[in-house]
Amino acid sequence: MSKLVKSLALSAAVFTTGLMVGAAQAGDADAGEKVFKKCKACHAVGDGATNKAGPQLNDVIGRTAGTVDGFKYSKGMIEAGEGGMVWDEATMTAFLIKPKDVVKGTKMAFAGLKKDEDLENVIAYLATFSSSAPADSSQAPAEPAPAQTAEAAATPDAASSSSLRESGIFKLGRVATQDEIAAWDIDVRPDGQGLPEGSGSVADGEVLFADNCAVCHGDFGEGVGRWPVLAGGHDSLKDDRPEKTIGSYWPYLSTVYDYVRRAMPFGNARSMSDDDVYALTAYLLYLNDVVTDEEFVLSKENFLEVRLPNEENFFMDDRSEEPHYASKSEPCMTNCKADEVKITMRARVLDVTPEDGGDDDAGVGAVD
Amino acid sequence: MTETKDKGSPSLSRRSLLKAGLATGGAAVAGVAASGARAEGDPLITEIQDWNRYLGDGVDAAPYGLPSEFEADVVRRNVPWLTADAVSSINFTPLHELDGIITPNGLCFERHHGGVAQIRPQDHRLMINGLVDTPLVFTMEDLKRFPRENHVYFLECAANGGMEWRGSQLNGCQFTHGMVHNVMYTGVKLKTLLEEAGVKTNGKWVMPEGADASAMTRSIPMEKALDDCLVAWKMNGEALRPEQGYPLRLAVPGWEGNMWVKWLRRLEVGDEPWHHREETSKYTDLLANGKARRFTWVMDPKSVITSPSPQMPISHGEGPMVISGLAWSGNGRITRVDVSLDGGRNWKTARLDGPSLSKSLHRFYLDIDWDGSEMLLQSRAMDEHGFYQPTKNELRAARGENSIYHNNGIQTWYVQKNGAVENVEVG
Repeated sequence: MSKLVKSLALSAAVFTTGLMVGAAQAGDADAGEKVFKKCKACHAVGDGATNKAGPQLNDVIGRTAGTVDGFKYSKGMIEAGEGGMVWDEATMTAFLIKPKDVVKGTKMAFAGLKKDEDLENVIAYLATFSSSAPADSSQAPAEPAPAQTAEAAATPDAASSSSLRESGIFKLGRVATQDEIAAWDIDVRPDGQGLPEGSGSVADGEVLFADNCAVCHGDFGEGVGRWPVLAGGHDSLKDDRPEKTIGSYWPYLSTVYDYVRRAMPFGNARSMSDDDVYALTAYLLYLNDVVTDEEFVLSKENFLEVRLPNEENFFMDDRSEEPHYASKSEPCMTNCKADEVKITMRARVLDVTPEDGGDDDAGVGAVD
Repeated sequence: MTETKDKGSPSLSRRSLLKAGLATGGAAVAGVAASGARAEGDPLITEIQDWNRYLGDGVDAAPYGLPSEFEADVVRRNVPWLTADAVSSINFTPLHELDGIITPNGLCFERHHGGVAQIRPQDHRLMINGLVDTPLVFTMEDLKRFPRENHVYFLECAANGGMEWRGSQLNGCQFTHGMVHNVMYTGVKLKTLLEEAGVKTNGKWVMPEGADASAMTRSIPMEKALDDCLVAWKMNGEALRPEQGYPLRLAVPGWEGNMWVKWLRRLEVGDEPWHHREETSKYTDLLANGKARRFTWVMDPKSVITSPSPQMPISHGEGPMVISGLAWSGNGRITRVDVSLDGGRNWKTARLDGPSLSKSLHRFYLDIDWDGSEMLLQSRAMDEHGFYQPTKNELRAARGENSIYHNNGIQTWYVQKNGAVENVEVG
């Protein structure tokens, strides 16, 4: 049989199965397939269905809630399953009317189906993919046409996802999938939110640092040329030339992890594994004497135990309380200075202006 | 600081000297030429010029028009010693050559942290995720279907003037004040996009993220995000320039330029700020007592005289002239600019000209009759909330000299008798 013929035959099989199930149950599986378009942005069903923003739905009827392998359920859904909730016509109907009322905290961002016939039909449709569904128990799970499977696995289209949305008035764009969010949402906060699983040692970090970082930051984080100095500078913040390093200035360790993971090494961002970033962060703590044990291993578990010494020395913007802003008095217009004004400093003495033949290395107050 | 002795003739660039009419005696030479012209006639008038006889280029000689070849000096400039590498560096808008309030797109200063990303608009996505009802993904086409707005806003790097904290260092307002530009943006309100995703009640912060190799992130409080932030794809009517974030950037009006994330690909909503690198290690203002301000978002009122200035000396000798400059405030409109010719002893209120728009550059002029004597030029801006620009010494008294960022102190230009201008500080 040619591929095309086979696919047509399968389509016919689905169609037939749908009709049969539809006849056996209150719902019409064929009509349910149309209703399921509202679900397709997040759920796949049929041959080769995998988890998307929502779990795959083969054999969902008769399954204990929250038990599809590899899907990250909400706490609420896992608890519902542990409490004995099994998907059958009754539980599925209640859930699809208003998901958040049935399973508190569910990740399913779907407002719910309003029409009884839609509910019945979509459940009938899902039952055709469930071997344990009563009306369908004697049949092998039916397969939808391969073409449809491919479509469901591809980027969800705006039309089908717009009806899934609780929010918005324009219904433009589409729902982001969990995989897409996971690919981009790698940010880490001081409270540990966003830290991935993993760990890395000072020793491993030292090797990684020498290979990837030392070319700009120096073997000991001392900085090469004008590249940032990463270590040292303790108690220098009140000096004429403060050295603002991770150890002397940065308030939070999470910033190191986040920044290295998103932007380093310079010119080869996102090339480090999560464990590598833990190891480099551990090594930077070691270079800054925040940890002194060469055997130290930094991990998601002990990350929040490490505090940087300068954390307390940051405060919210209060410029408006500075005397020159706070007064808001009318500025002086005449005879504002008692004597003739004298020049106290001239730029050309330093002579660092480009095109003035200025010395390329003479300036102070670099921007980085 | 001590007074420094004048070591003789001012150190000027060749270009500045040419503009100053070769400094000494420039006015006299001009005078001779003028009287000669009366007798025989100016050859530019009495003789037929090539451009008057021969044909010029046809319409398609430059499908995208460029400035005249005689404006080749009007370019962005870099200060090589400022940063480690041009890929993560900054250059400066030639403010001294510009007039009005709009910065031409090709002259807007650049600041990148991982070079200029080149992104096909068809390949660009904007994601909204975090504490929202529905995480969303938009294409550029999607974004252009939302209601659209146009606004003129200045964008100033918080480090503009950062090299001058310890005293006058760079000769030219391009270098002392050129990390600012002002263009009209077209885009959709950030509020509209956030509402489309539905911000949860505990969503208090928004984190924009760039798609470039630095994946720039900043934390923006929700109040600002819902107020006037714009997700923009046009500047001055045409697509954003690649170096300004093509195809999409965030505008955070009145707030420091680093927050205007370019190549904007993601907006995350959270309940706490992220304290990422650019709001901890950088863009925090270290004070003399060793403590540091954070979240210093607003750009305070500021002004500078753009002409005359070190790169734009007086070339015409005494007589009528225009003192021209720019003023801006992240708080709103500029209501007044005062100009001093004597280093801040006496002030005259300048004339604001052109549109007065909130969080936009304002153009001011003071028309004077120069008597040819030395001047110490200063300008002082005041905004609609009554905040006015402090002196550099007032700022130093409050903050010390290690703040790097937010130096909006009053600038002094020393105009010499020959018309040359120098960046100085006064007592």
